[in-house]
Amino acid sequence: MKVKVVTKILEANDRIALENRRLFDKAGVFVVNLMSAPGAGKTSVLEKTLAQGTGLRIGVIEGDIAGSDDAERIEKFGIPVVQINTGGACHLDANMIYEALGDLPLAGLDLLFIENVGNLVCPAEFKVGEDMKVMLLSVTEGHDKPLKYPLMFQESSALILNKMDLVPHTDVDISKIRKDALSLNPALKIFEVSCRTGEGIGEWAAWLGGQARKG
Amino acid sequence: MHEVSIAQSIIEIVSGQCRKGGYSGITSIRVRIGRASGIMPDALLFAFDAIKVESPATGAVLEIEEVCVSGRCRDCGRDFSVEEEYVLNCPLCGGPAFEIKTGREMEIIDMEVTE
Repeated sequence: MKVKVVTKILEANDRIALENRRLFDKAGVFVVNLMSAPGAGKTSVLEKTLAQGTGLRIGVIEGDIAGSDDAERIEKFGIPVVQINTGGACHLDANMIYEALGDLPLAGLDLLFIENVGNLVCPAEFKVGEDMKVMLLSVTEGHDKPLKYPLMFQESSALILNKMDLVPHTDVDISKIRKDALSLNPALKIFEVSCRTGEGIGEWAAWLGGQARKG
Repeated sequence: MHEVSIAQSIIEIVSGQCRKGGYSGITSIRVRIGRASGIMPDALLFAFDAIKVESPATGAVLEIEEVCVSGRCRDCGRDFSVEEEYVLNCPLCGGPAFEIKTGREMEIIDMEVTE
């Protein structure tokens, strides 16, 4: 006998993401889901953003398969941070975030960063209740990435090109990254930064602060 | 890459419906997966077969209907469908303005059950 199901496969995740979003909105917290390949510099960009200062009360959720190195780096700034270990899963999902919320003083925050597991594929598919997705691409990863991983570029509101100080030592074509990324997502806001030299961090932090204040 | 999570969700959804309907088991499940959803059909089939044991879907075959990326060009007004996972320009006239209509699907259509 045939039974109609007609259900979105990720319906359960999307439902929890909506609940997270409701809790974030109620607490007045702007939430950024930060995604990139491993080693692109997500934690470094967070450190530089925190050091730069945005005038906002910031909290961080660190997602990693294992370990707490990233949370320890953020803890030095004296802000609330929670480490999630996915125990093998290649992305954070809405329920992992929901369970971490009890450990965060949400009402005392303006901005929450969720640093996703390093991976250019899966995190783009799982909503966690964020207001905005931001992706990082380090220039050493190459200019072919927008067309190889289109979903991540399409889903993000902003793209941070990190390690710009290394451009002279590589064959990377930044204009191709810009052109392909903007073809995939014409509304994408692109920042060129270097965590090493501090280039571009001020512009990124100012834009982020503006987005968070707008809610 | 997250095909195991997707397989897990499929099994949870159909197992729930199977119990609710009082059926004894599931023999097949049809799902619709868009080419731009980031899911590899072979990996999904592999993951599904690996984790279906001890669920009401243990004897079930997963049938995947792939959906091409398609859309309509705002310049030439024509409908198009492509083999790639993304569209940068209208494949018919080269125009940059188009709307995507299909390709991101990830849904369960129906299942065959035994009473």
